[in-house]
Order: sequence, then structure tokens, then C-alpha cells
Amino acid sequence: MSDTELKAKLRFLPTGSALHKLSALITLLLLILAFSIMSSAFFSVNNGLTVLLQTSVIGLLAIGMTMVIITGGIDLSVGSVLALSGVVTGLLMKAGLPVMPAMALGVVTGGVCGFLNGLVITKMRITPFVATLGMMMIARGVALQLTGAAPISRLGETFGWLGNGALFRVVEMQANGFPKVIFPGIPYPAILLLIMALFGAYLLQRRQIGRHIFSVGSNEEAARLSGVNVDRTKIWAYTASGALAGLSGMVLMSRLVTVQPNEGVMYELDAIAASVIGGASLMGGVGSVSGSMIGAFIIGVLRNGLNMAGTSAFIQQVIIGVVVIGAVYLDQIRNRK
Amino acid sequence: MFDTAPTHAPLVQMCDIHKNFGGVVAVDDVSVDLYPGEVVGVLGHNGAGKSCLMRMLSGAMSLSSGEILVNGEKADLKTPQDAKTFGIETIYQTLALADHLDAAANLFLGRELKTRFGNLDETRMHAEAKAALVQLNPNFKNLKDPVSRLSGGQRQVIAIARAIYFQAKVLIMDEPTAALGPSETAMVADLTLRLKKDGIGIFLISHDMHDVFDLCDRVMVMNKGRNVGTFKIEDVNKDDILSLIIKGTLPDDWTPRGETS
Ligand SMILES: Nc1ncnc2c1ncn2[C@@H]1O[C@H](COP(=O)(O)OP(=O)(O)OP(=O)(O)O)[C@@H](O)[C@H]1O
Ligand SMILES: [Mg+2]
Repeated sequence: MSDTELKAKLRFLPTGSALHKLSALITLLLLILAFSIMSSAFFSVNNGLTVLLQTSVIGLLAIGMTMVIITGGIDLSVGSVLALSGVVTGLLMKAGLPVMPAMALGVVTGGVCGFLNGLVITKMRITPFVATLGMMMIARGVALQLTGAAPISRLGETFGWLGNGALFRVVEMQANGFPKVIFPGIPYPAILLLIMALFGAYLLQRRQIGRHIFSVGSNEEAARLSGVNVDRTKIWAYTASGALAGLSGMVLMSRLVTVQPNEGVMYELDAIAASVIGGASLMGGVGSVSGSMIGAFIIGVLRNGLNMAGTSAFIQQVIIGVVVIGAVYLDQIRNRK
Repeated sequence: MFDTAPTHAPLVQMCDIHKNFGGVVAVDDVSVDLYPGEVVGVLGHNGAGKSCLMRMLSGAMSLSSGEILVNGEKADLKTPQDAKTFGIETIYQTLALADHLDAAANLFLGRELKTRFGNLDETRMHAEAKAALVQLNPNFKNLKDPVSRLSGGQRQVIAIARAIYFQAKVLIMDEPTAALGPSETAMVADLTLRLKKDGIGIFLISHDMHDVFDLCDRVMVMNKGRNVGTFKIEDVNKDDILSLIIKGTLPDDWTPRGETS
């Protein structure tokens, strides 16, 4: 077969990032299949909802992380920023602020941390790794200092609404007076994740800021010469990542109905892993929100399935580590030919 | 040795431009001007400072000292956007393309077309890009491929199309035909003459003497960062220019060629 014929034939196959996403999706389905065979409890509505809930926190972080990674950067601070945002919200509520404004200010806190990351990276010319590593320590330190490392509890039932509520939940009162859940509903965190993922994908694919994010990661100098405001674009990406960290902090703390200043440790690594499994390149210029969502679910399903199969948390780390390396390795093999 | 200027006011005047990187002097008090409808060749050996001089006019590099006037008024070109608002467009020697984006995205990078709702207008950008690229190269396909997968010549065509699409008043071409085949090179020569006829001023950096003599009205030769002479093209021949490029001086017996013949 001649080269051109071969190419014409191959055109129908997905190429590049589409292929990566497809293989990630197949991996996800295979994982679900395998765990379902291993444990009957895995493939149930309730467990599905548990996975959804668990994944929504990492998923929210991964949306922002993907944007930052596409610019060619990294954000190591999201786990700590998540905690700090929660602490700010908790303290504001203790000071008498209602839930909604307190949560909004929590998200703003995350955004401010991200904005500071962006300033340090662009104006002080500190590499993203170092700048966000610094913010990781600073945000955690502030969160622990503000609370004296103690959790903030008794925040009221409304605080738990975002993390524990669900849409279309059907509850029936039984004769004995106890409520019976007929359909658990779609958890609010999952709906929030869906909305933010769609919004993030829209920004990346259809808006100028998304185009600029890709151009900065692809060739920063070319972007600058073309008239892209490189600094503004980077600051935007880090601010978005910080705000999403704040939002995921709201979800997580609300689910616990308690603010834990030491929550979210190492979450940044799960978010980075989700992006990378989903096809984002740490060299910049490549990545997608949809891929990162698949990546987040691969990690979520792996964690949940391994838990149900009784695998220890330590072995889970080992397996996820192997998956991350495997995903990147496969991607490299594909790019090399 | 100074040229007699055409009658209109200069489009661009670069006065005593100096650029040093620490101790390294890249551009040493160079002055040059450009008139509408004129092609000025910027010549010199590798590392003579041609690209640096032009990058300062593009807003891509800051001046160490000196002044740039556009249409007689001082222009502070801090960023590439500043230069673009003065109608200064550049084809960079490095092409300055974002490898992961396709041709249309690169052509409109920083100046994206948008729909009424502020979304990217991909359809219009692709149609416009296609029209602009096919003008330069009728065989241009792979419009939706990331430019990393295109040939050197195709990439260069995108860089050229980008510079002319936005109706430049001043065009800087830094070795625009370095990667082009003969027919594309001829196309760029045609294009240069057409733009010149439209009253656009062009700085052309080239190492190709044929191009220089075919296209330029004047030449400015740089040697080790200094301007060693600006001439009307009729007043010099190839050997004069080579002597300026290599030694930095004219042959001893030089007189303006245009007058002797
Ligand atoms: N960013 C930089 N930092 C330090 N030195 C630089 C920089 N850019 C250029 N130079 C130096 O300035 C001098 C002029 O470089 P320039 O790129 O202008 O040369 P050129 O005339 O365009 O050469 P060529 O024909 O090879 O393109 C060179 O000695 C180069 O090493
Ligand atoms: Mg050069």
C-alpha cells in the first residue's frame, strides 16, 4: 500500500488528542467492568453516587489544573488553597455571615491566592513550580494559624447543603415514621462539576482567552510577538485554578459539615495526575477539560474499586503512580512515530 | 554618500538606535529611514544586528537608547501590540508560530475574529485564512493541521500571510524567503512589488543579492552593529555591497555608479 493510500485509510481513525482521550475512556470502562466483576457492590446506584461525589472535588481541581498545565505551568498550591478557602468560609460563618456570602468569599479567597501565584510567576519571574510550592506552604500555614489547627464544626445544617444535597431526590415517608430514600438523586457536587467542566471547556475551546492559553503554552515568544498579553493570560489561568480550588474546598468541607484546616493534602497531585492521564502535556500547549474529567474518573474509580476490593491505601498509591507513568509513556510512544 | 530622499515625509525614522546586551553591543547608533512605497534592504553578515534593529521597530525588543519616529511623531513601541497599532507588521526570522495551533489560529492570534456573542468565529477565520494563504500558495492544504506538521515553506507562507492580512503600513520582512522554493519566492517578490505600489514601506532583510537588486530601492548595510552606509540601489553593484558587508568599507575606487554610467 502506498503512503498516501495508507494516510487516506487512517484518516477515519481518530488522531492525536482524540485518540488519547478515546484510549483513556476505554481504560475507564475496562476498570468499571473489572471492578464490577470483582465486587457486586461496586456496580450499584449508591456506589456510583459515591464515586461521583469523591471525584467531584478532584474534578474541580483538575479543570483549573488543566488550564494552568496548558500554559506550560503547574499549580502545586491547590490542595492548601482549598483548605484556606474552607477556613475563611468557616470563620466568616462563625462571625455571623450567612452561608452563601461566606462561601462566595471562600471562593474569592481561592481566586486571590491564584492571582498572587500569577503575579509572582509573571512579574517576579519565579518559575511556576517554585512560586506555587511557596503558596502551598503559605496557604496551609495561614489556614492552620487561623484555626490553631483545630477543625471548625457546628456550622449549621445549611453549610452541609452543597456537599450532601441532591437534585431529584425522592424520599417516601414510611408507615413507621422513618423516611425511605427511593432515588438518592443527583448530588449537587456532581452537578456543579458538570457545569464547571462544560464552562471550562467552553472557555478553552470557544473563547479568546482559551486560544491565548494554548498559544502561550505552545510558544510563549510567538504568542508575545503576535500581540497576546502573555502575563495577563497566565495570571488569568492561575486565578481560575485558585478559584476552582476554593470552590472544591466548599464542596469538600460542606460534605464533612466541618472545616478541616488540614484537608486536601496532596490533592494537587491527584489533580495533576488526572490532567496528565487525560492527555495534558506538562510541556504546555496540549490538554482538554474532557480528557481531564476522564482522568479524574479513572483515579476516582481506581480508588473506590480498590477500596471495595480491600486493597490497602498504600498499594492504591502504588497503583495510581504506575497508571500515571503508564499513561504518559503510552502518549510518548504515540507521539514518537 | 547620503541619498536624496523622495518627496513625501518619511514613514519611519530610526534615530541613533543603540542596543547592548550587557557588554555585547548588537546595534551601535544606527539611523535609518523608510518612505512610503519604498523597499529598503537591510544587509549584513550573520550577527551584524539586522534582526535586533528590526525587532526594536516591531516592539519586540526594547531600545537601549535612541528614538523611533512614525509619520514624524515619536513612537514609544514597548510591545508588539504598540507597533501593530502604528501599522507596523513583521515577518520574523523565527516565524513566531504557535506549533500546536492551526494556520487560521496562528494567522489571527492576538486579533481573533469573534461572533456577536464574543465567541471565536472559527468559520470566518478559516475562510479568511484560506483565501489569504491560497493567494500566496495555490496548493496550500492542511489548513486544520497544527502548524508543527507543516513544511518549512508552508509555515513561512503563514507568517507572510499574517503580516499582510492586517493591512500594514510598514512591513518588516526578516529573510522571508529563506525556506521557500523558487515559485513561492517569485510569488513573494511579486507580492513585495504589489505592496510597494500600494504605498507600503518595506524593510527587507535578505542574504540573496538577486532579491536585493530586484526589489530594493535603497540598501542599508550593517557591519558589527554599525550602519556602514545607506545607498540608492543604482549607486552600488554587487561587489560594493559585498565589500561593505565583509569589510565594512567600500572599495577604494568607488564613485556612485548611477552617475558614472
Ligand atoms: N537576546 C539576546 N541576548 C544576547 N545577545 C543577543 C540577543 N539577540 C541577539 N544577540 C546578539 O546580537 C548580535 C546581533 O544579532 P542579530 O540577530 O541582530 O543578527 P542578524 O544580523 O540578524 O544575523 P543573521 O543574519 O544571522 O540573522 C549577535 O551577536 C547576537 O549574538
Ligand atoms: Mg537575523
